[in-house]
Amino acid sequence: MAGAAQHHPQPRQYVMIAIVLAVLTAAEVALFYLEVGVEAIGQAMTVPALLILSALKFYLVVAMFMHLRFEKRLLSRFFTVGAILAGSLYLITLTALGAVILF
Amino acid sequence: MADLAHDHAGAPSHHQVTGIDNRKLGMWVFLSSEFLFFGALINNYLLFKGRDFGPGALYPVELYDIPFTSISSFVLLMSSLTMVLAHSALARHDQEQARTWLFATSFLGIVFVSGQFFEFAEFLLHGLKLNLNPAASAFYMLTGFHGAHVIIGVLMLLVLAFKSMRTGSLSEAEGMNVELVGLYWHFVDIIWIVIFVLVYLIQ
Repeated sequence: MAGAAQHHPQPRQYVMIAIVLAVLTAAEVALFYLEVGVEAIGQAMTVPALLILSALKFYLVVAMFMHLRFEKRLLSRFFTVGAILAGSLYLITLTALGAVILF
Repeated sequence: MADLAHDHAGAPSHHQVTGIDNRKLGMWVFLSSEFLFFGALINNYLLFKGRDFGPGALYPVELYDIPFTSISSFVLLMSSLTMVLAHSALARHDQEQARTWLFATSFLGIVFVSGQFFEFAEFLLHGLKLNLNPAASAFYMLTGFHGAHVIIGVLMLLVLAFKSMRTGSLSEAEGMNVELVGLYWHFVDIIWIVIFVLVYLIQ
């Protein structure tokens, strides 16, 4: 167990990651209000930024809190390939049904 | 934390052929199927949220309280921190701290679910019933199923925390259970990260 504790981040690092996650969430909310309040800033600018911020948060939780970064490669490959395939499937479905316009 | 699955002699206490504990691999496979489940529900919501259901129709998006939901999201995010701190404390054999963090995670989960009940009550008071239109149904299905997952997570956390309180410490096997419940809890958190942006912030 001591070995595992050495490989995994220490409590202080976990707190730092949580602070980063909180800042990213605050940035998401700020972007939402910017879009609502400033006419010049449209969805074309905020939507990609919001998606990038949430992807960053997703990555941080999966990699650091779920320890995927420290697990065997088999597990991270299994997860990454599955996530890409599932995401693509849903994106294709939404595009085909006209709910998302890709181009 | 993988070492929690080993007995004192250092030999694996649970059968494995991939180098990964089978219970952990099983949990990841289960979570993968859950990703597809929530993916379908999110897809369903995105399909209906932009549709026109006639004049005077009420849509969930008109009732969103972004400051309130932002605080709920923050609470759930912080529960992931307390969960990982419980896991980390257990890896250091600090049973008391692990128990404290398990209770803290359960408490934050209860706060989140209470917020969701409050939101649903507000929406219902405004007339947004489950069967009002497909957008409303899709919204309740998605956030309702997520809330149900949080409730199940809280129950599992409380079982572990009370077990630890009653016996004084969690055994090696129960240490693995903390890790598995932790994986489930973080999964619930990442699903909310996606819901918060796709449902609430991108309107």
